[in-house]
Amino acid sequence: MLILGIESATSQVGVAIGGHEGVLASAHSARDRRHAESLTPQIKFVCEQARVELSEVGCVAVDVGPGLFTGLRVGLASAMAVAHGLGVPMIGVSSLDLGAFAVEHSNRLIVPCYDARRGEVFSAKYRSVPGGVQRVSEPAVSTPDELAADLLAGSDDALMVGDGGERYRDVFSGISHLEFAGTGLQFPSARSLVELAHPKALREEFVQPNEIEPMYLRLPDAEINWKTRASG
Amino acid sequence: MDELILGIETSCDETAAAVVRNGTEVLSNVVSSQIDIHARYGGVVPEVASRAHVEMMTPVIAQAMVEAGVSKDDLTAIACTVGPGLIGSLLIGVSSAKALSLVWDKPFVAVNHLEAHLYSSFIEEPDLELPVVVLLVSGGHTMLILMEGHGKYRLLGQTLDDAAGEAYDKVARYLGLGYPGGPIIDKMAMDGDPQAVKFPRALANDGYDFSFSGLKTSVVNYVRKNPDVADVDIAASFQEAVVDVLTTKARRAVEEFDAKGLCIAGGVAANSSLRERVLDIAVEDGINGFIPSRSMCTDNAAMIASAGWWRYHSDGPASLDQGATSSLPFPAYA
Repeated sequence: MLILGIESATSQVGVAIGGHEGVLASAHSARDRRHAESLTPQIKFVCEQARVELSEVGCVAVDVGPGLFTGLRVGLASAMAVAHGLGVPMIGVSSLDLGAFAVEHSNRLIVPCYDARRGEVFSAKYRSVPGGVQRVSEPAVSTPDELAADLLAGSDDALMVGDGGERYRDVFSGISHLEFAGTGLQFPSARSLVELAHPKALREEFVQPNEIEPMYLRLPDAEINWKTRASG
Repeated sequence: MDELILGIETSCDETAAAVVRNGTEVLSNVVSSQIDIHARYGGVVPEVASRAHVEMMTPVIAQAMVEAGVSKDDLTAIACTVGPGLIGSLLIGVSSAKALSLVWDKPFVAVNHLEAHLYSSFIEEPDLELPVVVLLVSGGHTMLILMEGHGKYRLLGQTLDDAAGEAYDKVARYLGLGYPGGPIIDKMAMDGDPQAVKFPRALANDGYDFSFSGLKTSVVNYVRKNPDVADVDIAASFQEAVVDVLTTKARRAVEEFDAKGLCIAGGVAANSSLRERVLDIAVEDGINGFIPSRSMCTDNAAMIASAGWWRYHSDGPASLDQGATSSLPFPAYA
């Protein structure tokens, strides 16, 4: 089955297409946050490069976050519309899963960490297991200091993946048992998305477009204020 | 041959999709309003609106297609609002519309939300005689436009500060009446005396620009000094001042530019006092007064599909790398 993967949770926006032969074509851009402008042309481009028709796509995979809200939603809305338009099911994958999957062969504790703006990062912890990675902590939004304190408290050798680790390198660099995967892996990729979605597609772990649930991890400010007022 | 346009609108807090035949015949017009979600915050919260748009967009499009009884093969093009509006909201519609355009292999048409409001009149009155003066009043805009032809507009004037709808919201909030202010004040005004308080009519006899921030301030000051005056009288007097200014200028514009008629458009065009006054003026001055039905005044996708049909014929399709522009200007030539 051909899978179209759409990923737009960070400063990067990307599309990949592939299936049992692996990824056939992909496109990624990370300049000026032009997610909405770039995404549809990227879909067209990867289909042309892979020499497949959109109508051959059997499933649309999408990064459901956590990530930067506006860009994330451009990907979600596009992916849902493509799936709806083709009448095919979807697979939602977390950006943190994608980050961890990119370094799946590490025997360290894997910590994808993406910039959440406002002085915070999105992160979770993973372990390499046969055939992939397994998440061992809940996805969270926290300050880099909180995450650093948490990692410092553990003694496991850890590997940090993502632009959060790059942006707050000064906060994390004091942790001697922490390594950084580097800028080459600072964003989740649409290629990883297609690779990770493929086994899920084989197991038919599909959802319908209206069942895709974005992972925001943060309430809108207005709602936070409202709840504070209601409880106070 | 019949041409069917799927219109998509997400510029503010309504997730909407519609199918319109040949620019004027509405086959379906689905609007999922978020008013209840935003009411407790006293206004539209952009992040809350964007989240709701993502959730509602695909179901709303599906419903518009089903209600119209059409399939993708029947469509000629897909038109979508690309601005002005809340950027996070606009991007949901634009992303969905472009993706569908690619998947269904249909041209994508970019529509200006303000221009689309003008087309709400043509949907119900396809033979509307031009030129007309259009009073476009909403929560975000207050404009006086001379429409000389399709796509040919002169912007005669606009608000220098608050939009008319914004003034309604602010006054309603100050009086503790709730949100949105327009319908609430409109309803209260029916039981009040519009002559109870003489609020100022800023710039009434001066050009075609508007100013409503002074009016809002004078309502606040008046209520502070006269706490015993009934809210219904304040509401009626405030509304009278707004409608007075709007219609005085519109009427003058019709005369100066020798227009065949006067149209109102936008959310505030649903206001009953404004509607009555425009009809009175039309009769008195012997011109055509055109009042779109209330569902066509507030944000909807039928007007997007209608404007999109005209734009498709005049400009052709837009590129798939089209983005959204929150401050997209009204497409006037002067």
